[in-house]
Amino acid sequence: MDTPLIRGIGLGRTYGALTALADADFAVMPGEVRGLIGSNGAGKSTLIKILTGAVAPTSGSVEVKGETVRLGDPSEMIRRGVACIYQHSNLAPAMSVMDNIFLGRQPTGRFGRIDRRRQRADAQALMARHGITLDLDAAVGTLPTVKQKEVEILKALALDARVLLMDEPTGWLSAADVVRLHTTIRGLKADGVAIVYISHMLDEIFTVCDTMTIMRDGRVIAEAKVAEMTRPRVIELMVGEKLARDSAAAARVPRRPGGTGEVRLQVRDLTRTNVFRDVSFDLHAGEILCITGLIGSKRTELMHVLFGADRADSGTIEVDGRPVAFGSPREAMAGGIGFVPEDRHRDGLMLGLSMTENLVMATLSRFCRALLLDHRAIAARSTRSIAELAIQPPDGTKAVRLLSGGNQQKVLVGKWLNLGPRVLILDEPTVGVDVGAKAEIYAILRAERDKGAAILVVSSDLEEVMTLADRIAVMVAGRLVAIHDAEAVTMARVVDEIGGAA
Amino acid sequence: MTARSATLALLAFFVATLAFFWFAAPRFATAGNIENLMSGFSFVAILAIGQAFPILLRGIDLSIGAIVALAGMVAFDLVLILHWPGWLVIPAAILAATLAGALNGVLIVRLRLQPFIATLATLAAYRGLVYSISGRQLVPGLSTTPIRDPWITGLESYLDIAGTLGLSDLITLPWVPLSFFVMLAVLAGFQFMLGSTRFGRDLYTVGGNVEAARLAGIAVGRVTIVAYALSGFCAGVAALLLVARLTTATEALGTGMEMSAIAAAVIGGVSLSGGIGSLYGPVIGAFLLGTILIGLTLLGISQFVQQILTGGILLAAVAYDRVLFLRRQRRLTANLGEEA
Repeated sequence: MDTPLIRGIGLGRTYGALTALADADFAVMPGEVRGLIGSNGAGKSTLIKILTGAVAPTSGSVEVKGETVRLGDPSEMIRRGVACIYQHSNLAPAMSVMDNIFLGRQPTGRFGRIDRRRQRADAQALMARHGITLDLDAAVGTLPTVKQKEVEILKALALDARVLLMDEPTGWLSAADVVRLHTTIRGLKADGVAIVYISHMLDEIFTVCDTMTIMRDGRVIAEAKVAEMTRPRVIELMVGEKLARDSAAAARVPRRPGGTGEVRLQVRDLTRTNVFRDVSFDLHAGEILCITGLIGSKRTELMHVLFGADRADSGTIEVDGRPVAFGSPREAMAGGIGFVPEDRHRDGLMLGLSMTENLVMATLSRFCRALLLDHRAIAARSTRSIAELAIQPPDGTKAVRLLSGGNQQKVLVGKWLNLGPRVLILDEPTVGVDVGAKAEIYAILRAERDKGAAILVVSSDLEEVMTLADRIAVMVAGRLVAIHDAEAVTMARVVDEIGGAA
Repeated sequence: MTARSATLALLAFFVATLAFFWFAAPRFATAGNIENLMSGFSFVAILAIGQAFPILLRGIDLSIGAIVALAGMVAFDLVLILHWPGWLVIPAAILAATLAGALNGVLIVRLRLQPFIATLATLAAYRGLVYSISGRQLVPGLSTTPIRDPWITGLESYLDIAGTLGLSDLITLPWVPLSFFVMLAVLAGFQFMLGSTRFGRDLYTVGGNVEAARLAGIAVGRVTIVAYALSGFCAGVAALLLVARLTTATEALGTGMEMSAIAAAVIGGVSLSGGIGSLYGPVIGAFLLGTILIGLTLLGISQFVQQILTGGILLAAVAYDRVLFLRRQRRLTANLGEEA
């Protein structure tokens, strides 16, 4: 058997208490297209970042063509012919397309002067070879995102890479562009390039890949030939038996689409120009509505408008039947909206302060007696929250920074529950949270729902959506394309809709 | 393309300002005054060119005023105490300034300091260093001794272009100070580097998207250190022009000049959000600032009011830069929305 073009051995990466990747072995042969799949937080991106040198692993080693390489150094990996199309744009927006394609490696002549003519000729040859047309002199920042993605793809192809990593390369592309990209991939494969293809779209994996590696919770769970796999089996592996069991159990928890029937939040034709448009839905008391979709489908932007952090250009929002127009998050909070943001470290928690301080932060005015804070009442409230949310360890004086991700998330949820909002919005509530804590957070949210809370959850994690939701709304590119009763819809159907196939 | 039209717009505004004072301000349109403008603001233009490098990286160099004093004092000591020849003093003083700039870069890269904080600290430290090496303090009597080295005083000469070309009978043209040509040389050299070499492209890349630069294998730390070293280099060149002009150096040399340099660079369209701008802009910006200040002086407006105006112009330039930034952001989100 040949030596793999690229091979990771026992790769691991931890961030503080969080293990992003553990003991992962990974290899790709020349001319092999390997799909890499798993839910969010499964460790795919961490693995890719280690292979490109963007991140140094905390354990393990990487070999290219059988030689051990220096880790955590992007220029070393580029030199060895490892290129990557990143999920998020890695371009310099003010510079021209031509400069971006050859970022850091422009051909030079005498006195280090850049050979523009050669650069242009090379770029044109590259575009002709791969059937991509771009204005080489346009500044990248002025191009539409699809075109930027094409620049990103050309940039990687320009390296004449032996190993090409693609992290969700089709996220922004139209169906025709995806087909063209797949043609390019087959051409590269015939040239003996090793390709790693990450995608949430199982269709694409089954169309273009030869083999697949399935990851879950930072570990490689299975490796297989695509021809020998079926979709249900892939999904089962991705999700894991425990969660599959949990979700089967959750399926038996009675869903309550429509809740108590009382409309808490009514959104009609909400539009923010060039971001999302004509979004309409109702959220009832006593139900959990999950909004799912791809990254970039503008779910978070929609939440920001609901929470008053941004303004809508048209459309109406009503809370309890009264029209509202929040100018700031402060007004939205006063109007009964709670918002648990996606990035708890940046937007939600004061990591250096104690659990108690974080729990009562948003509600301090209730604990004021004259001008002083009633510390006994605060401690009592905090103890009750900690017990209700089963936060570990149950010690209110402990700094939040020292808690695990799941417990930090519980503190954040608790902070907002203490506010007693009419509508609670959670953006990706379980990112970076381990499986056990996930189940606990779901239980907390269900308990609140049963008490009559109206809960809106934004999530990219389909398992989470299928487990938690009473109703499921799908957002594609700024539009709310469908709302389903969770009992009446299959995961496959939702996957199709997310990809815009419906 | 848009960068070029922005520079042209600035140039047009500069010409209009020049024309305004030409007719409005008494004695503005004289050869002597134009000489003043050229010699008095060439070194500001050089400082602004230097300042452009940190700003292109989303940083700032507050210490250049102190580096000017440091290079000036090094030159003072080498000439008057050690009696080095001028041809050796000039590179030595510039080297000292370049190293001081490079140290800023090292602090920013290695200690991960904010450029503002790092250069604020070195601003104080370098100024203190100037006092401690000051020949004026160490050797009594030197403070009144002028620098007479021909290499250095030669920097403060004027070239009679019109005379050389035999035009002086027809028209009175200002004599062009050598410092103006030094400035042009600095401009030409660095603009070539920035616009046409890979290092220049790397600088724009680091300023535009530091993560993209890192993943493209660009040595971000080294680019940053070099950028601050270049800022120091320019401060060294400016210092020598000043010393030549004053025939001495003082501990307070260059105080507050970072203000003018930053103002000129930002007026010149070097974006504080990084990665955008050329070196022509800062040069035009410096002379625009000079035209306004000299013009107002000739109109009889008080020095204090002028300081307020300088601050006002800087504020306006920064606000305009911000507007452009927000417009770019909006265009970016508009592009993202196109698929909707």
